[in-house]
Parts: sequence; C-alpha cells; structure tokens
Amino acid sequence: MSTRADQLHALDDVSGHRESLWSKAVYKFRRDRAGMWSLAVVLVYMVVAIGVIFGWWATSWAELEGGKWEAPSADHWFGTNIIGQDIFDRAIYSTRTSFEVGLVVAVLATALGGVLGALAGFFSGSWIDELIIWIMGVLDSIPFILFVAAIAYSLGDTPYAMHIAMIATFWITAGRLIRGEVIKLRGQEYVEAAHAIGVPEVVIIFRHILPNTSHILLVQATITFVAAIKSEVILSFLGIGVKEGMSWGLMIAESTREVLAGFFNNFLAASALLFGLVMAFNMFSDALQDALDPRTVAGE
Amino acid sequence: MELLQYSIRKIIAGIPLIIGVTLISFLLMVYFGPDKTFDLLGKNPTAEEIAEVREQLGYNKPFVVRYAEYLRELVTFDFGRSESTGEPVTGLLARTIPVSAALSLPGFILGNLLGVLLGLLAAFYRGGAPDKFIMASAAVGMSISFLIVIIAFQIIFSSSFGLNLFPVRGWSMDTFGDYVRYVTVPTLAMVFVALGYNTRFYRSVIVEEMNRDHVRTARAFGVPPAQLYYKLILKNALIPIITRIMFSIPFVIISGSLLIEQYFGIPGVGKATYDAITTGDQPVLKAVVALTAILLVAAQLLTDILYRAVDPRVSLR
Repeated sequence: MSTRADQLHALDDVSGHRESLWSKAVYKFRRDRAGMWSLAVVLVYMVVAIGVIFGWWATSWAELEGGKWEAPSADHWFGTNIIGQDIFDRAIYSTRTSFEVGLVVAVLATALGGVLGALAGFFSGSWIDELIIWIMGVLDSIPFILFVAAIAYSLGDTPYAMHIAMIATFWITAGRLIRGEVIKLRGQEYVEAAHAIGVPEVVIIFRHILPNTSHILLVQATITFVAAIKSEVILSFLGIGVKEGMSWGLMIAESTREVLAGFFNNFLAASALLFGLVMAFNMFSDALQDALDPRTVAGE
Repeated sequence: MELLQYSIRKIIAGIPLIIGVTLISFLLMVYFGPDKTFDLLGKNPTAEEIAEVREQLGYNKPFVVRYAEYLRELVTFDFGRSESTGEPVTGLLARTIPVSAALSLPGFILGNLLGVLLGLLAAFYRGGAPDKFIMASAAVGMSISFLIVIIAFQIIFSSSFGLNLFPVRGWSMDTFGDYVRYVTVPTLAMVFVALGYNTRFYRSVIVEEMNRDHVRTARAFGVPPAQLYYKLILKNALIPIITRIMFSIPFVIISGSLLIEQYFGIPGVGKATYDAITTGDQPVLKAVVALTAILLVAAQLLTDILYRAVDPRVSLR
C-alpha cells in the first residue's frame, strides 16, 4: 500500500533533499499502530472538552435532577450522586477541567523550561548558569504538596495557586534536558557562523539554537500534561486543588464518603475517564518519543 | 581522613541549597503568608492588643531579622511549639517520623526489589512475549492514579464488599500482628503504584548495560548468564539505581506518604504536615521543609560515598 507519506518520502529521496527530523517522525508515527490509536482517543477526549467549553453538553452538571444515589438509567447514564446530581454530566464536565489544567501547565512549564534551560546551557559555567541550577535544585527539594500549599497561602484566594505551583516545579525536567542539549549545540558550526557575522546572542539562543530542541520540548510537554492531570486529582482530593467547577479529583473526594456504603458510581465514573485519558496520553507520548528518536527505525 | 574532608566540603556545598529552600518557603508561607494576628485575639480587640500580638509574632521586625530567626531555629533544631496543639515541634517530629518510616519502608523496599526483578526479566527476554507483557502492564500501572489505587485496594481488601481481611483505617504498632494488619493494604497500594515506574526505569538501565561491548565479548566467550547478569550487568547498573533510591528516601520518609496517611488516618509526618497545611500551623511546616532539605543534602553525601564503595574508580574530590 502506498500512502501519501510514502510518496512524499520517495520524492524526498529522489530530489536529494535531506529528510527533516519532523517528516521522518510523521512517517514513523503513522506506522505506529498503538500511537495512532492513542492519538485518536486523546482527540475524542479533546472534542468532549471543547464541547463542554462551548456548552454543547454537560451543561446541567450542577443541577439537582433526581433522587439520592439513583441506579444508572436512560436519563442518568451513570446514576445520580448523594444529592441527586447526574454523575455522567459531572464526569463529562470534568474532562474540560482536566484539559485546562493539563494544557495550561504543559505549555507554560515547557516554555519556561525551554527559555531558562537554553539560557543556562548557552552561558554554562557563568553565574547565570549557576543561578538557574541553584533555583532548579531548590525547587526540586521542597515537597510538592507543601509547595502548592505555600503558594496558596501567599496568593490568598486565587483558583490558580495549583496551576502556578505546578508550572513552578514541572519546568525543571524540561530545563535540565534543554540545558544539556544546548551545551551540545552551542559548539556547532552554524552557531559559530552566527557569532562571526555578528548576530546578537539573544537571537542566537532563541532563533538559532532553541528551535533545534523543539522535539525534546514537544515530548516533554506531553509528559508534563499527564503529570499535571494526575497531580490535579490528588491535590483536589486533598482540598488544595480545583476550587471552582468540577473535576475528577473532586468527584473521587466525594466518592470516598460513599464507597464504604456500597455506592461506587461516582468513583467508577471518575476513575475510568481519568484512566482512559492518562493511559492514552502516556501511549501517545511514548510513540511520539520513539518517532522523534533518530536512532529507532520505522516499523521496528 | 580523605573521607572526612570530603564530607565537610560536601556539607558546606549543600548550604546554598538549604538557604534557598528555607528562604523560598519562608517567603511564601510566613512572610507573604496568612496574617495570624486575629487568630490569637478575642472579639473586638483594641488597637493596643493588636499591636501587642503583632509584636509577639514579630510582624514589626524587618524581613532579615525574621528570616535569621528561622535559620537560628534550624541550627538549634528548636522550632517552638505547634500553633494548633501546643506540642513542641521537635517532639511531634520524634513521635511521627518513626510511624512514617515503619509505614513506607516495606512498600519502598518491595517496590524497588520487585522493580529490579521485573526489569531484569524484561531485559532478559527483550523483544519477546514476557518483555511485552511486563512493559504493557507497567504502562497500565503507571496510568492509574495513586488515589484510585488506594481507594480500590481499601474496597477490595478492607470492606465488606471485598475480602474484608484488614481494618478499614487506623494504625497501631503495639504488637507485630497489629503492625502487619495495619501496614498491609497501604504497602500493597504503594508497591502497585511504584512498580510501573520502577520496572520501566530499571529495565532501561539494565538494557543499556547489556549493550556494552564488554558484555557482548563476555557473552561470546561463553560466560554463563547468571554470572553475566550478576557480575557484569547488575554491578555496573548500580550507580543509577543507587541514585534513584537515595534521592527518593527523604521524600519517602517525610512527605511521600502524605496521601496514604491522610486517607488511612495514620499518625505519621505526612498526616501531621497535612493537618499543619489545613490549619496554617507555621512552626510545623517550617520544620518539615527544613528537615527535608537537610535530609536531601545528607542523601547526596551518602550517595557519593556509596558510588565510591561500588566503583573504586570514582574518586571523592
């Protein structure tokens, strides 16, 4: 079977162009069945989340529609909770919360890690590098849950304490990776050439070097996304996470008062949706990593 | 002698880390943290009363003085009394740390041992069915939230809807039997959650060692597999393994079990920390943060000394 990617691939070879990392990665990723399936699942979740944002469904997640702990029925697919709210609606609505937390944290934390990591790597050995490494070590050494609480204390009543705490700690892994990569790239001829013709250092770092680490940043963003979703659930359960709206963590917190009484719907609905998203995203992340790794061969 | 000199140098090098950790947590939790003045006052306080309490709490003093006070507490290891119970913080830590250690060590050790074993097994059958099965299970295990595992295990092992073998929550170490009864379900949950990550990590470390030239040569010369794995692969893989284990110990003892302790109502440091978070008990929080930082510096030092022990080529300098 000859797909369009194959043809492009062949064209590339014939015309003597060097394949880019990205075209190779797309080729490899499309051959990774598990990767494609996981991407499809993630996209379904994303559509669900977008639908919630635009108010297409799950608009009545906060309304009292039935009795206490109703069994699943045509009206209430997963039954109702202790005060008669529809569990299916609440679980669907929570998808949006998860995506919001995951996306905001993943994008901002990787961006921060990219910028600080590139600065530390480019000026490695100087005081800038020392300072950034010191900050990384310090933030790594504060217990995460305490750090979230500390941010919440100092910011008062903001719903974003959790996001800020996650961004402030999750950038570190990306920062370390990018620092290492930039130290490698710094000595390459194109950087030397840029120096020689007088390109300013800021431009060299952010226009010439940083884009060449984008494959690391992309994979790191997917890993951060998963970490953020998983942390959100635990923090919300502990009462220092999501403050407004609904989330899977809040649903599970609600369910801990119910499971010992034999009512499992809240717990099962939130757990199943959370597991599906995390599992799919983990697999997507692995496939992406393989596809972007120049050492692996397609179809292996 | 060389070791002592090295240790002192390492400890001095750890001071900036401790300063940073205490500075950031002091800034966030105390300096910009909640104002405790009105918690200590009755209704309708007068202006003098307010001024007096603020004086007591040190709110009038400049930042540097207040932070220096924290450092003094850290050096003398005297953090005062808990604001919510009045118990001395040092006594609170002495009471709760052994509980947390007793709670999390079995799970930590089992999780790492099983992780190494499964990692070895997967690496041995690399590309084969056992490898695929183990790694797929690890991927599934990594995708299940710690919280869900805890709740599910409680339902399965401790409730009348499951096996109903263990107490639902609580803690006792009076007899060994009690200890086993209370520690089993938390331990199973910890092992389950850590196993996926551990197996994946150990497999990649072992596979990397397997691909080295000297291992290939030894294999070609017919060295039996047991010797090959033990002498050439595991021993060389020890450095990343030691690093991983040593650096997780401070968090395992101090805060790693916060969720478990809170959920099962176990009176360890994690629960004490959680209670301190919800009540804003600053002396306890300050002590926990400082202790974690100190333990991390100690872990770093121990790790370097252990490197030297497993690999004589590493020089302590």
